[in-house]
Amino acid sequence: MDAYTSAPAEDGRAIRFTGSWRDYLPIAATNALLIVCTLGIYRFWAAARQRRYLWSRTHVIDDSLEWTGTGKEMFIGFLIVMLVVAPFFLFFQFLFPALAARGHAVAAGGILFLFYIAMIYLGGFARFRALRYRLSRTYWHGIRGGSDNPGWRYGAEYLGRYALSVITMFIIFPWAVTRLWNSRWNAMSFGPLEFRADLDAEGIVGRWIALYLTPIALLAVGGVLAAMFGMFAAGGGPAVKESMAVLLIGIGVVVYLAIPLITLAFYAKYFRQAAARTRLGDLEFGFDASTLQWLGLFLGNLALAVVTLGFGITYWGYRNWSFMVRHMHIYGAIDVSDLTQSTTHAPREAEGFADAFDVGAI
Amino acid sequence: MVEGRLYDGLTGHPHTVAVRFDAAGIRLSQSGGWSDAVEASQLRRYDPAPDSLRVGRKDQPGWRLVLPLDCADDLQSLLGKEERYGRWIDRFGLVPALVVGGILTVSVVAIGYVAPHWIAPHVPMSWERNVGSAIVGDFGDLRCRSPEGQKALEALVERVAPGATQGPNGIKVAALDVPIFNAAALPGGYIVVFKPAITETDTDALAGVLAHEVAHVRRRHVTEALLRELGIGAFIRTFAGNVGANAEQIVSLSFTRDNEAQADGDAIAMLRRAHISPRPTAALFVKLSKEQGEGRTYSAAFLQSHPLSGARARRFAASFDPHANYQPALSRDQSDALFNICWKRPATK
Repeated sequence: MDAYTSAPAEDGRAIRFTGSWRDYLPIAATNALLIVCTLGIYRFWAAARQRRYLWSRTHVIDDSLEWTGTGKEMFIGFLIVMLVVAPFFLFFQFLFPALAARGHAVAAGGILFLFYIAMIYLGGFARFRALRYRLSRTYWHGIRGGSDNPGWRYGAEYLGRYALSVITMFIIFPWAVTRLWNSRWNAMSFGPLEFRADLDAEGIVGRWIALYLTPIALLAVGGVLAAMFGMFAAGGGPAVKESMAVLLIGIGVVVYLAIPLITLAFYAKYFRQAAARTRLGDLEFGFDASTLQWLGLFLGNLALAVVTLGFGITYWGYRNWSFMVRHMHIYGAIDVSDLTQSTTHAPREAEGFADAFDVGAI
Repeated sequence: MVEGRLYDGLTGHPHTVAVRFDAAGIRLSQSGGWSDAVEASQLRRYDPAPDSLRVGRKDQPGWRLVLPLDCADDLQSLLGKEERYGRWIDRFGLVPALVVGGILTVSVVAIGYVAPHWIAPHVPMSWERNVGSAIVGDFGDLRCRSPEGQKALEALVERVAPGATQGPNGIKVAALDVPIFNAAALPGGYIVVFKPAITETDTDALAGVLAHEVAHVRRRHVTEALLRELGIGAFIRTFAGNVGANAEQIVSLSFTRDNEAQADGDAIAMLRRAHISPRPTAALFVKLSKEQGEGRTYSAAFLQSHPLSGARARRFAASFDPHANYQPALSRDQSDALFNICWKRPATK
């Protein structure tokens, strides 16, 4: 029986991206044109075309992935969600100003609070469903993934953990996101194989503390400098004033640069850890993108959009996907004869909720 | 006869099979004696990888036959052309679809934005009144309720637009104790003025601002905006995502700018008829444009989407007639009452 092991490819990588931006150009260009010419309705079909290309150019061990989701099902999924969510939105849109205009500030605040609770719950639910949908439409060797978990409980867990994070002023955030990663992936499977994730906050807490303390530290330094500035301003000449002003501006710049950079560093580590602590059967994963590489991706996306007067945005999906694939590793062996077809229920509603709430799947 | 790789959709194990194309479909066989035939109508294409072509079966999810690239012609004669943009667009061709789609899109957007302008005057005021009172109600504690002040505020509206507050569809004007310099026309013929717009400006300038809002109500601009927002605006924001929403905002802003300019024109005419000098209003705009900086006029309600304050100031200033016999908008007593409209008497026991 042929057992396929990883590392068959010439460069020793079990997962490779084989696409090229030139191949993708006709897809990007026609998608952009069709989206504009259909008032945006084509974007569901555009997303399906994009994924079909990206999946088919993702080679895993000895065969490429396959995307079988369709634009039509995503469009219908979106319409269904809109039918469910739109009355809720409309009701809120009228109720909130009506209460506020009548001076019922407390009632209006309560409604706003409930609205946010519902939004967070549905946001978590949407993320779960999007992941489940994507796995159910991803085939490899004729086998797909999926989940039998409907995700309602995950929504509640998501809400609970975010609420706890808010209550603790986000001190427990690293624990919340890692537990949520585990809950999400432990509910997923591919064929008969279950995903197993046991990510913990160890290793990312340091970066979280850095992110948490930076604004406080900078505020303190700024405060001290401002006090010194106040003292010197009375006695010091214009040169002192100038250098103080430069220092204060410097702190402002650091705040704007340091906080996004540390956030990026936190998430870079988070994704590396998350991949390393997630398994599928005997397969293990790895992800090696550093903070600087993530920064390169984002700055590259930005520069591409600016240089091409916006057209480059159509390449963001391509760049993000190829970035993920290029930095991902798969280790271990899989016996494809044991890889039987998934028995999970294939959802029909596509990812309308994720679309409506604008969240990603991973 | 070509060699292909078959996944049966039951396990991930690949089977090497010999594939033969004939008029009805494909025939598969293996050296062990196994064979199968699949009709063309059961087959569907999947996206090719760089080195292979793929077909699946409509009735068996996961069933895949991976074929070498040189089978492309055989597949095309069996299954027709590969689907590219989606079934409808493939049928018409990309260019015709783009042309037809482009024309449809432009017409839908044009109708969606222009139609409210024609429909708005025909919407019964009573309907709009219902929507308006549902939204704004009586403003609760926010409303400034000094009776003398309210009388003066209504007198000021009557001064620039005689009869405007009379009748079942009359304009309802209210002062709100909100610390923002602003005024707005709301659905249902409501005009609200926030406290700083009363206390930090003189009565003649406030007359100009109120005349502008009265013009919005009379020209049904509010109804128009509401229709546009609930129609094409909601549609574009729903389907086109963020980029579409931004584009939608730019277009709707350019339309409301026309309305703003029209309301300014009406306001100037109203001030002239009422013998109120337009200069205080012009001075107010100069002050606002200095405070905000030119080009940063996209703040809330009254200032939102209004033509740049500097240009508006010049327009109001240009309407000043040196030979006109201008009168103050309100008497001294009325002005004082208006100034104190939000002042609450301490509760007496």
